[in-house]
Amino acid sequence: MASGSSEVEEEEQERVMLRDRPEWADVTPVPQDDGPCPVVPINYTEEFAEVMDYFRAVYLADERSPRALSLTAEAIHFNAGNYTVWHFRRLLLELLKVDLHEELEFIERIAAKNSKNYQIWHHRRRVAEKLGPDARNAELQFTKKVLSVDAKHYHAWSHRQWALQALGGWEDELDYCSELLEQDIFNNSAWNQRYFVITRSPFVGGLKAMRESEVLYTIKAIEAYPENESSWKYLRGLYKGETTSWVNDPQVSSICLKILSSKSNYLFALSTLLDLICHGYQPNQDFRDAIEALKIPDLDSQDLDIASMICSILEKIDPIRVNYWIWRKSRLPHVAQ
Amino acid sequence: MDSTEESSPKSELSNTIMDMDLHNTFAELMFHLLPSPYESQEINHLTLAYFVISSLDILNSLNRVEKDAIVDWVLSFQLHPGTKTDPNNGQFYGFHGSRTSQFPPDDNGVLLHNHSYLASTYCALAILKIVGYDLSNVDSELMLASMRNLQQPDGSFMAIHIGGETDLRFVYCAAAICFMLDNWSGMDKEKAKDYILNCQSYDGGFGLVPGAESHGGATYCAIASLRLMGFIEDNLLSSCASSLIDVPLLLDWIVQGMDGGFQGRTNKTTDTCYAFWLGAVLKILGADDFVDIKALRRFLLTCQYKYGGFSKFPGEFPDLYHSYYGFAAFSLLKESGLKSLCSELGITETAAKGL
Repeated sequence: MASGSSEVEEEEQERVMLRDRPEWADVTPVPQDDGPCPVVPINYTEEFAEVMDYFRAVYLADERSPRALSLTAEAIHFNAGNYTVWHFRRLLLELLKVDLHEELEFIERIAAKNSKNYQIWHHRRRVAEKLGPDARNAELQFTKKVLSVDAKHYHAWSHRQWALQALGGWEDELDYCSELLEQDIFNNSAWNQRYFVITRSPFVGGLKAMRESEVLYTIKAIEAYPENESSWKYLRGLYKGETTSWVNDPQVSSICLKILSSKSNYLFALSTLLDLICHGYQPNQDFRDAIEALKIPDLDSQDLDIASMICSILEKIDPIRVNYWIWRKSRLPHVAQ
Repeated sequence: MDSTEESSPKSELSNTIMDMDLHNTFAELMFHLLPSPYESQEINHLTLAYFVISSLDILNSLNRVEKDAIVDWVLSFQLHPGTKTDPNNGQFYGFHGSRTSQFPPDDNGVLLHNHSYLASTYCALAILKIVGYDLSNVDSELMLASMRNLQQPDGSFMAIHIGGETDLRFVYCAAAICFMLDNWSGMDKEKAKDYILNCQSYDGGFGLVPGAESHGGATYCAIASLRLMGFIEDNLLSSCASSLIDVPLLLDWIVQGMDGGFQGRTNKTTDTCYAFWLGAVLKILGADDFVDIKALRRFLLTCQYKYGGFSKFPGEFPDLYHSYYGFAAFSLLKESGLKSLCSELGITETAAKGL
């Protein structure tokens, strides 16, 4: 059963108005009632107005036919967010017993031009739900396709997370994240997905069990690109709910020291060290030496404690956040209020 | 066009002032007629109207439009039960978002095709407040009672009873609706709070749904909702201790996203609208002092369009959404000539107070 694809193609070539199509001759379009004093009016095109006039007619008549289904495709083309049209389309898909695999293809075509539209993705989910576990590969493939064009596509990630939870397919997901991170280590969506997998996949032992291997992975990423905010945040995230473990894990403080000692891209190393100190970490002389070796000019040498010194440095080297670092300094435990 | 604009070769891209006249013209033009491309968003007509009308209010130009006509128009979108209505039919009796989702009753007087929408209901009430309409005149009892039908077991909200996505956006709409109507019977606040907390990510920001990546818009919905529901006290910054959310981690996430403008997500480009979404969160938390005002102004002005309005990124054409959030962001920056904003409601303070 055609799901409206031929109508959409026709649209792209040369659209014939509905009133000129013989197959619609028996339908009287229902004009829009904008009321007596419409405010913030929209300058509708003739085509838009006509499609909606015909849609109103079939919807009010509750016409459940193939041509009604085609019409929903046309209406969607004009306004992909129209949830009333999508709702009616779903009713028709069910009643006309449309092959839902064809519908998935239809959605993919529409999504190509409207990929940031919530209703399209919701519709995709509803269709996939109906198909059940059979849809698993299709959904993972589809989202992968979208992500190959835009690796941070929020809707695609959302849909992928839903698909994993509802339909499965977790086994290869961590590898997929690694692939994406190899392409772009700064892709925060991929880091987030890693977290999603290690905390929710029924195939891994949970955050604690995965911590060791993930810490190693993350530290490597930090060493390669210490200016990458995502990896530092992920490292901390691995200790969520167990701040003491984060503070006491020598790997965490070591990586801060290593980056500081490299004297390059050390901003997050400094702020992480500051956070550690605020949670009870007591840095040894090596840290002090590394910080002094940075030779930050005009540093107030009266700042004897390392935490205040870090705040002062950050005020200078991260000026866009100067007020935040000043506030952080004021919140340091030892500072008199 | 005054001469200072012609003098610099890049004057159309980087101005030094927020040009109120141009923006007023832009907003007024939009009010009188939305250009054809906006028909692709027609389903959210009321939302588009909210952007325009709230813009005019922020710009202190509401006197240029007829408020009574606006009231009549907005009220005409309200879904009233038909003559034969089962009060337990699961339907939500709020406001439609557009004429294309509004249909006349059938021959039996039953409104079987009509489905009102939560986000449109928020916009409708917001617009009514902006034009000074007394919301106690709105038939809200059935609206609130039926709104509970939209809340899910996990505390989230669907926008429409026939089914739709559930995420933080609609939790926010529900909270704002209850707040504006001063009646919390429309939702289970505790459940909503639980859902919000489940949306806080490992990095401190909030995703749109649990497990999702931290996002500026979602974070606004989370914090503004908690604030409206009474779960966040004034000036949280001084205590910096909430039993509910990890405030220091959240602050750090927001602040690290400042790069002239605000990033909506870690390692993404800055976009005009996040100056409102995240600027407003900082204001709610009492931390707006952290904003580098000069840098933010400079960024926003690069998104200012030479004929009025704001674009998403520098050098692009303006759209209503980014224009509105551009005006809102400038209001948060206390730009002279602009009215101040009630951050958590998304309308001016005078509108919020009903003055």
